[in-house]
Formats: sequence, C-alpha cells, structure tokens
Amino acid sequence: MIISVEGLVKRYDGHTALDGLDFSVEEGDIFGFLGPNGAGKTTTIRILNAIIKADSGNILIDGHNVFKEPLAVKEIINALPESNGYYEWMTAHEYLEFFSNLYEEKKSKKDIYPLLENVGLSGKEGHLIRSYSRGMKQRLGIARALVNKPKLLFLDEPTNGLDPKGRRDIHDLLIDLNRKHGTTIFLSTHLLDDVERLCNRIAIINYGKIVREGELGGLKGKGTIEDIFFMSTKEGTL
Amino acid sequence: MKKSSLLLSTIFLAILVNYVPASAASRVAVSIDPPSVQANMGDKITYTGTITNNSGKAIDNVIAYISLANVTQGKEAPMDLEDWSANKAIKVDAIPPHGTYEGKWPMRLIDSGSYVAYITVVDKNDNIPISSMMSHLEIKRILRLNPNNVLPVALGEPVLIGIVFMVIAFKRRSRVK
Amino acid sequence: MKTAYIMQKEIKESILTPKGFLWYILTSIILSILSYLFLTNSELSLLDQGQMLYMIMNFITALGILIGLVFGADAFAGEIERGTLEALFLSPASKMEIAMGKLGAAISNWGIIFAISLPYLFVVGKGGQNVLTGIVYLLILGTLLAITFSAFSMGLSARIKSMKNSLIISFFMFLLAGAPIFLSAALRRTWFGRILDLINPFADAINTFDSVVIDSQGFSYQAGRVAIICGYTLLSLWFLKRSVSGLEM
Repeated sequence: MIISVEGLVKRYDGHTALDGLDFSVEEGDIFGFLGPNGAGKTTTIRILNAIIKADSGNILIDGHNVFKEPLAVKEIINALPESNGYYEWMTAHEYLEFFSNLYEEKKSKKDIYPLLENVGLSGKEGHLIRSYSRGMKQRLGIARALVNKPKLLFLDEPTNGLDPKGRRDIHDLLIDLNRKHGTTIFLSTHLLDDVERLCNRIAIINYGKIVREGELGGLKGKGTIEDIFFMSTKEGTL
Repeated sequence: MKKSSLLLSTIFLAILVNYVPASAASRVAVSIDPPSVQANMGDKITYTGTITNNSGKAIDNVIAYISLANVTQGKEAPMDLEDWSANKAIKVDAIPPHGTYEGKWPMRLIDSGSYVAYITVVDKNDNIPISSMMSHLEIKRILRLNPNNVLPVALGEPVLIGIVFMVIAFKRRSRVK
Repeated sequence: MKTAYIMQKEIKESILTPKGFLWYILTSIILSILSYLFLTNSELSLLDQGQMLYMIMNFITALGILIGLVFGADAFAGEIERGTLEALFLSPASKMEIAMGKLGAAISNWGIIFAISLPYLFVVGKGGQNVLTGIVYLLILGTLLAITFSAFSMGLSARIKSMKNSLIISFFMFLLAGAPIFLSAALRRTWFGRILDLINPFADAINTFDSVVIDSQGFSYQAGRVAIICGYTLLSLWFLKRSVSGLEM
C-alpha cells in the first residue's frame, strides 16, 4: 500500500472540508479521485502532499508519516496542482533545471532532455514558457512533477481546459508512465472520460467523505461510471 | 508770540538734551572689521568685532552677534546665517573698565550678491542695543561645472548600468529561442 | 544549497530583468542629479561636505528599505497570486529555506543599490571628513535595515497572501518608522521625542550617520542605536519564521 489515509479531518473557519476520510491506494495503481466541485479533492491532495496540515487523522505514504516526515515524503512524491502557475520568464529547460536542483540528487543537463522528450516537448526546451500553449504548459508541469522520478504522482485536474488532442496526449503520457516506470498515479478529476480511460481503482468523495471506493471494473458492474457518480453524489450536474 | 517762542525754545531744548547718540550714551561701543570685503562664492572670511567698554566700571554678560542683510536690487532680505556657518552669538563674561574684547565670526560665503554685515551688542543694563557700522560685502558668483569630478560619475554611471543591462539582455536573448 | 538555488532564481526573476534594471538606472539618475546639485548649485554646493554625504546616505538607506519592502511583499503573496508557490512547496525545500532564499535576493538588491551609490558617496564626500567611516556605517546599518524591513514585509506577505495589501501595510509601517523625522526639532528634543526617535530603527540609522559623519563621534556613541537596530533585525526574522511556518496554500 503506497497511500493509507485514516480518519482525515480538515476544517476551515468552522466549515468541515474533510470529514473523516478513509481510503487507500496500492502501489502501481492509477487511482481516480472523483467528486463534484468543492467536494474536498484539492484539499485532500494538498494534505497528502504535505503542503497543508490536517486537524486530525493519519496518513502514511510509502510508510512515511506525512505529518511527521514531510520532507521525506516530498522526496518520493510529486504533483501537478490544479492551478499550476509557471515562471513564464524562464525557458522550459531553465524551469526543469531549477526544480531538479531542489532535490538532493542534482540533475545534469543531459537528464533534462529525456524528461522533455517524454512529455513531447523536445526541441522546445529553449523557448520561453510564456510562448507556450496551455497544453504545452500542462505537459511541462508534468515534466516538472517527474524531475525527482517520483514513486507517486498526484495530478489535480490535469486535462482541464485542454483540447481533445491535448487530452489524448496527456492520457498516453500517464499510461506510459504507469506501465513503463511503475509510477503510481493519483488522479483527481471530475472528467469521467479521463477516469474510464486511465484508472483501475477509484474513490468518490462528496461533502468531505468517501462515498464509494473500489476497482473500476467491479463498480462498473453496477452501471456506467456516470451512473455510479450520480448515484454517489446525488447531483444532477458536474 | 513770546509765549509761543518760549514754548518752542523749551521743546527744542528738551529735544537737544535728550538727543545724544546711542553710542555716546552707552557704556559700550562696537566696531566691525574689515569695513568692506570683496570675495568669491565659497570663500571663507572672518569678521572681527571689537567691543569697547567706554565706562569706568567693568561690564559683564554682554552678548554680541553678527547680522547679514542682502541688499542686492530685488533680493533685499535678512539672511539666515545658519547656512553661512556664522550663526553663533558670543557671550562676553566681562570687559574691564576702558578695556576691549575681540570676537571672531568666520563665515562661509554661500551665495553671490551685495550684502551688509554688522555686529550688535546687547548689554542687559542698557535699553538700546548697540550696533557697529555696516561692513559692505560683495560676493562674486563662480560657475563650477565639474567640482570633485562629479560629471563623469553623474553621467557615466546611469549609462554604465544601461550597458550592463543590455549585455545581460543580449546574452539572455541569445540563449532563448 | 536549496536556499542558494532559490536565491539565484529570485535574483534572475527580480534583479536581472528590465524592471530590476529600471530601478537601478532610476536610482543612479536620482543620485546623479542629487550629487550634481549638491556640488554645483549655488547654495547647496556650499553645504558642508559632511552634510551632503549625510543627506545622500539617508536617501540611499530610504531607497534600499523601500525596494526591500517591494521584494518582501512579492515574496509569498506574489507567488501565490501567480500560482507558482504550490510547485515550490511541493519540492523538498523547507518553507524557511524558501524564505531565506528570497531574503537573500532582497539583501543582494540592497548590495547592488549600495554598490551603485559608492561612486557618488566618494565624489560628494571627497575632501570631507569621515567619508570611509560613514560608508562602513551605511553598509552595516543599511544591510541590517534591508533585512529588517524585507523580512517584515515578507512575513506580512506570507500572512496576508495579498501583494497589494502587504505592500500597503509595509509602506504604512515605513512611514510610521519615518514619522518622528518629520517632528519639529523642539519636539524631538523632549523626552517623548527622544524615546520616539530611539525606538524607531530608521531614525536610529540616520541619527547614527549624523553622529558619525557630521559630529565625528566614535562607536561608543553609536552602540545603543546599533544595538536597537540589531534587535529589530532579530525581531523581524523571528516574525518571518513564525509567519512562514504557519503559511498554508
């Protein structure tokens, strides 16, 4: 088990964002974390990433307690946040070099090129990020999230706002990462299409609670993924 | 007619009796030296004031200070001597009978024009302050275009920073596609 | 080491940019005008050399503080507003390492302003008294004040998470720090004025410059004021540490 979450609670100014969350993720999974807007997906990811603190609960990532060993956790995970900004004055190469320098094992220039190639940005490494399209930026964000060769990769709405080709490229990239490198992927999304294409296990969160969790194949026996989602969240729209 | 003549004579006599020059009536006299000065802006000059005790008694605790007035046409005004580094008053503790005291007032000439300087002595036992004659001061303007070699720095440094920026920007541009 | 990389990135982002250089060119133009006026204008040029040096030192200190406040306000709030802080927090660099890298860049900025001012200080002070001593005091106190005000503004930026608001509050605090200088000379001589002057780090610095450059007084006269400025520096670093450790996205 690479992620184990027990009784996670987070409150903001009296409002309970996460209300005793329990779930687990196995190593090698592409884990879909679904939920309507405001359900607590981003908050959960930020807590798992050791960026914000929880009020109570336990989280183990690859055996490390997130609250007690945040830096150890950060060495083995990485993430692409939902609203990821970029240092637009940098080139893609400078951007990746900067982030790779922040890890103990400093990347040489040679290591950065394959990374860019992996995400389909080879030949664009010397361009300023401000000249990139949204899809290119998203791919660069994923490349940044891979600089430390993470065992566990968190992606928060990675295909949001991308055109069909951009989405397809990201899907292929993630499948490739998971299959070739064995990277566990924690994918937060409300795009059910992404989930069907990529995930083997899912959890649905609503009002800060996990309302359904299991193998995608098993859950799909009860209807389409859309049916499961609507039944679980009791919402008419996404 | 006689009455009015008598009244006029009495008034005249009264005025005559009362009209005595201040310096003559005072126990103290003061003079300023040099009586006139011609100098350039930036020069330092020193005025010497000599205070004389004309009486047969020692005088004590008199205060002497210098004043400067701009008398250039159109710029007539008393000057604030703080800027001219001459603002300090001198307190003289005692001057013996018929003795003198010499005070110095160094002054830095900070602006051009025609001025008059005079020294005033205030004796608490007198009702009237005593001033010296006026010393005429003519200050000529000097135009200094590059004092302390300021021009190369003032013009060169912004240009130098601009050049450094352009070099950095050029290097950066050559690295970026 | 991570601090050094973050500092390097900050320097590239804020100093080695057209905007950064515009600050420096403007600084040097203002210093050029001031120095030229001091030395050539009829009345100003005949000010005492020490007086001129003192005035330029005050200007440089105030400018260093002001730019430091802008650096500080942008440090966390600016990154949050641009959406770049989360990626930085995902890295194994601790919040304090990130803060120190940013503070290092703010101090480097002060170092550049000081370096720009050096030729002017030498030209204006040439032939005057205490030029070198004055410059050493400017370097030390200017650095302490740059740390104090940048760290304070950085702490605010981490707490408020809004660049505009933290900048407004920082400027307000700076004006408050400078306020006693605007009091009349008579009021500043009263016990209230003296205390106000003493507890104000900016006034402490300029009173020290006055004492060193114009009155040629030794370190024993300055020790109290320098100690107070050091105290403020430690206090603002503590404030920064507290603010950053509580910073959440």
